[in-house]
Amino acid sequence: MYVDLDTIKLLWPELVLVLLATWIYIGGTIQQGRWWWGLFALAAYGVSGHAVAVGIVEANTVSGPLTPDSLGYVVRFTAIVLGALFTLVLTASARKELASETIATLMLLICGVMLVGRANDLVFLFVSLELVSIPTYVLLYLGRRDRATSEATVKYFFLSVLSSAVLLYGLTMLYGVAGTTTLVGPGSIQSELQSLSVDAGGLGSLTPVALVLIIAGLGFKMAAVPFHFYAPDVYQGATNANAGLLAVVPKVAGVIALIRVAVIAMPNVAEFAWHVTLVLALVTMTIGNVCALWQQNLRRLMAYSSIAHAGYMLIGVAVAMAMEASGGISGTLFYLLVYAFGSLGMFAALASLGSDEQEVSRLEQLSGLARSRPFVAGAIAVCMFSLAGIPPLAGFWGKFTLFTGAVRVATDSGGQATSVWFAVLAVGGAINAAIAAVYYLRVVAVMYFQPSREANFGTNVGARVVMLFAAVLVVALGIFPRSIFNATEHAESSALREKVAAQTIQRLEAIATSQQVP
Amino acid sequence: MDSIDTLLVLIPGLPLAAAITVGLLGARVLKERSHYPVIIALFGSFICSLLLLGEVRKEGESVDDGFEHVVTLWNWADVSNAYELTDTAAADVGSHDFHIDVTLRADALTAIMLSMVTFISSLVAIFAAGYMHGDRGYWRFFAYIGLFVFSMTMLVSVSNFILLFVFWEAVGVCSYLLIGFWYEKPEAAAAGKKAFLVNRVGDFGFALALFLIWTNYGTLNFHDTLPNGSTDPNLIAQVAATPPSEEAAEHAKPAVIRGVLGRLRIATNDYKHGNIALAICLLLLLGACGKSAQFPLHVWLPDAMEGPTPVSALIHAATMVTAGVYMVTRCTPLFMASPEAQLTVACVGGFTALLAGLIALTQYDLKRVLAYSTVSQLGYMFLALGTGTVVGITAGMFHLFTHAFFKALLFLGAGSVMHAMGDVIDMRRFGGLRKLMPTTHATFMIGCLALAGFPLLSGFFSKDSIVAAVEERVHALEHEHERRAAHPVNGAVANDAQDRSAEVEHAGVFALWTPDQLDTFARVYKWLFYSAMFTALLTTFYTFRAFYLTFYGEEVIPHEAGHHAHESPRMMTVPLVVLAVCAAVVGGALDQTWIGPARTHQFGELLLQTPSLANGPAAAAHDAFKFHGKIAGISGAIALGAILLATYLYLGHRREIELIRSLMDFEGFSRWLDVDSVSRWQKARWIAAIHRGATAIGLGWLTALLGNIVLMIAIVLSTPFLLGHFVSPYKLSLRKFFIDELYNFVIVLPLRVFAATCYLVDRWIVDGLVNLLGKLPLLFGNLMRSLQMGLVQFYALAMVLGVVVLLVAKAVLAG
Repeated sequence: MYVDLDTIKLLWPELVLVLLATWIYIGGTIQQGRWWWGLFALAAYGVSGHAVAVGIVEANTVSGPLTPDSLGYVVRFTAIVLGALFTLVLTASARKELASETIATLMLLICGVMLVGRANDLVFLFVSLELVSIPTYVLLYLGRRDRATSEATVKYFFLSVLSSAVLLYGLTMLYGVAGTTTLVGPGSIQSELQSLSVDAGGLGSLTPVALVLIIAGLGFKMAAVPFHFYAPDVYQGATNANAGLLAVVPKVAGVIALIRVAVIAMPNVAEFAWHVTLVLALVTMTIGNVCALWQQNLRRLMAYSSIAHAGYMLIGVAVAMAMEASGGISGTLFYLLVYAFGSLGMFAALASLGSDEQEVSRLEQLSGLARSRPFVAGAIAVCMFSLAGIPPLAGFWGKFTLFTGAVRVATDSGGQATSVWFAVLAVGGAINAAIAAVYYLRVVAVMYFQPSREANFGTNVGARVVMLFAAVLVVALGIFPRSIFNATEHAESSALREKVAAQTIQRLEAIATSQQVP
Repeated sequence: MDSIDTLLVLIPGLPLAAAITVGLLGARVLKERSHYPVIIALFGSFICSLLLLGEVRKEGESVDDGFEHVVTLWNWADVSNAYELTDTAAADVGSHDFHIDVTLRADALTAIMLSMVTFISSLVAIFAAGYMHGDRGYWRFFAYIGLFVFSMTMLVSVSNFILLFVFWEAVGVCSYLLIGFWYEKPEAAAAGKKAFLVNRVGDFGFALALFLIWTNYGTLNFHDTLPNGSTDPNLIAQVAATPPSEEAAEHAKPAVIRGVLGRLRIATNDYKHGNIALAICLLLLLGACGKSAQFPLHVWLPDAMEGPTPVSALIHAATMVTAGVYMVTRCTPLFMASPEAQLTVACVGGFTALLAGLIALTQYDLKRVLAYSTVSQLGYMFLALGTGTVVGITAGMFHLFTHAFFKALLFLGAGSVMHAMGDVIDMRRFGGLRKLMPTTHATFMIGCLALAGFPLLSGFFSKDSIVAAVEERVHALEHEHERRAAHPVNGAVANDAQDRSAEVEHAGVFALWTPDQLDTFARVYKWLFYSAMFTALLTTFYTFRAFYLTFYGEEVIPHEAGHHAHESPRMMTVPLVVLAVCAAVVGGALDQTWIGPARTHQFGELLLQTPSLANGPAAAAHDAFKFHGKIAGISGAIALGAILLATYLYLGHRREIELIRSLMDFEGFSRWLDVDSVSRWQKARWIAAIHRGATAIGLGWLTALLGNIVLMIAIVLSTPFLLGHFVSPYKLSLRKFFIDELYNFVIVLPLRVFAATCYLVDRWIVDGLVNLLGKLPLLFGNLMRSLQMGLVQFYALAMVLGVVVLLVAKAVLAG
């Protein structure tokens, strides 16, 4: 690993964010005021996004710890859009004296996600993930100062640290097996592990251990069972805006890291990996959905919903592990985007309803919302329908691609056992979608079919804008999903290119040796 | 040719445009003026139809083998190699591209149907404007009428079985909507439903027939087409004439796709025979039976009278119900391939005619009498088609044509009566209306005379030609049978040239028939002939019964009539008069053979310009149209006799008819065999005296025994008579031979019981299981929820345990 001027150039968008975040930290002590810094942050995201767009070069050079593939670009654009949207929500809901800190911390967090998206090195990846985690602790604490928030923050802090430790242990073990920290490329972990058998004893047999530890560490970020326990408690304790942040941003980082490490860089444990992922997917979505059935607290409900969606995403990951170029990565990415906007819309809507005196957190507070706040109710309904996967909204296409992927593996893969496993996965996913519809539709039913009650809802303009944006996006993606599909499919093929190239070389070598033998 | 294209599109297009206009604007803008667009459009359609008829006739006279012109509007479905046919005639291999064009055709059959439909519907629409005045659904009614005429004109002018089926269903839907027009009335809603459901049975058969045609002929088009969809006859003839090259044969796609009823196929008579042909024809017949209300699917038509009377006149008498007749006529080449199917058509028609005639004798609802009369007359048409000769088919279509006029007239007359009587239609509740409603009376009488087959009115000619066609058929069959008997070697050895030529002449029609077959067929047709004659008698009688009950006798007016009890307005009487004139003259004018041998059967000549009738086996069996003086004489006498009988029985005192009725009802008959009255005998004085005397000399047991034996006999004998009490001829007729009850008992009731059972099973067992299944996630969720205890230590432990479990699983799997 080395760092030179080219690497700095490649890191320019992230550097912009870090520098401007620092600027906000310092400036915030001199000049208070939320909208001023909010607009400044939006401008910073604009500059950074522009830099990303300008920096798109179809160079095939893996420059040190960074990879220039288009998976990275998809993640970075997504992160910037999410950053801008969350800035709007947080700016309006944060307390005035803390607004600049909140906004700057969010910028660092987003910067972390962007770095995860293009990390090609274990150390770089770990540090990027920590750049996601540490600002999150701060943000949670900044949201509100009461006992519940403190408890939630501390819980999150402890468990997150534990998960980081587990992840670090896994990464270390991976380094020990492969002898390098580079993920993909010549002389990387991927090419080293390619020839290393898992079952023959020796170093190779440690890769499954590394894999389990990595899945455990990243599973925490994604809120996958059994690393999900923190989610309901923490979401409930956090503000609506922070809960939304927690539901979306770490999940993006976790899924991307899982794809980068477990799917692409660890080819020799693929067999074991998809078994683990598949079982985790089934268990995660089932537990998430059945527990959500009982919830009356909206943030708790959304926490379990977020757990269930982690399960759906793991379907895509399992598909990607079991079969090369099967559309698994692309489906997972698409689902991630769809989930992010659906969830963001919901939390933004809740945030927009909250006021200084009272925060919306219980389901019955929404009753009759369709009459008192028709636009908010409509946006929530759209997001709920999308999360439930009802056509023609974006959520339908997300589930559709994931289940199609599972069915494709079930029909196209050679092995009998594989077929059965993936068939079970697809059926399990469909059953879970049906269970999930119950609690999503219950929210809609409460809003539309129950008498409205007197409530002094707040008017958080930023959150309102974000909510409408998300709802429109969910509808638009449902009707025109093709553009996003194209992007995610391109991302998948681009991310797998190195891997495929390496495999081709290996195959050629094998042919060459077999010809030499006689 | 271009003018034909335009006309063909305009004829259905105008009513559709009117229907859409009224449908969109009727409720708010047009309101009480909703009839204007429809009447104008229908009249325009009628003018176009007449022009089309003229064009077709002109073009048809210039060619020998009939004229047809096909217009392709657009492509509806295009699936290459939709189906791999394995067992097909070589020439049809490869034509199984499922290619459906929206095509309209112009030929004589279509032009005749179009003229008739648009003419009747124009008049009915004018009548309805008066009749429906003030109804809440005025605009809705006219929108439906426009839609119906569009569907009906499309039905008779499409050139494809699929589209025929589509519009077959479309007229069914319009009929359903119009029967249930007053849907607040439960009877009307039920009648609409019944019509729809009974028609489903027929449609099911029709759909199966289409599947069979598709699998056997590889296309559903009537006409020949080139693979690129072109229907230009010159081009087709050119391509068909060029022998296929080796390369093309290899390619396995034919150069011309021969339509099911196309010229090329008819010219070579390349039709399936045997059981396939029989199955196709019987299934088509089932479809026709549903639409044209033939036994056993006739039950919906009488109930359909719940709809507004103009609808009964237009849809359920003149036009829609004749769709089955049209369809069978259109498919003549298919039916020609299966004599058994033709015999079935004839039998169904003949039996339905008789059955409906018997039922009509005792009905008291004026519209129901007319409805059964319609069923009966449709039966006549099927009987005519079933003869399988050109004369017969012409007679059937001719009867369809004339029947449309006089039956529409009669229904509109009944509507006029209903209008005046405040919607009362029971003939027992009104009577003697001839002075009150002179125009209606006069026109109704002309309609009755035409229906009765009074000499020189239109019904006379068409019905006679049907009876004559059956008689000719019997004659031909018997003649052939005798000829074979004279030549024992199956006519194979012919002595001289004359015989030989006769052999060839007959070979075309009866070549494949066995003597037994000839004999059986001849006998069946002969019975049908007698039955048709008897039905003619019934027809006349019930028609005049209804006529006299309504217009003669004591003047009775129901209280519902109120101030309406007067002649109908001019808007309603003018169509009556026009129809009456048509009903009187149209038969004699179009069939002029009665004037002298030099005159022609103009209707028949025109109809025979239809390619499917002008060529092929049908034409081979064609004799010249001639006037059958003998038959005409007999049936004229029957008509006059029956009219006189009805006049005698129903004019003046109706004592005799009451007597006949009670005789037919076995009234007082059963008293003689009543068990109670027999057991009362022992109380009679002289029997009791004998019994006492016998007891005195110790022979009491003997008389008691005798008494008991007599009682036993009485009990045994009473059973059939008890049954007779319930099913006397009168009751059979009045209760419509209990067919509705039979259907209720055999089909409706079991289905209802089954449905109720299914409902209970679904409600309690299936729903219960499903609900239980729905509870499972909740229970499981509750269980898992309890793990969420809020202790951070436990959460951390769970994470670590998760890792451990996964690792152990790996170790176990590897080991």
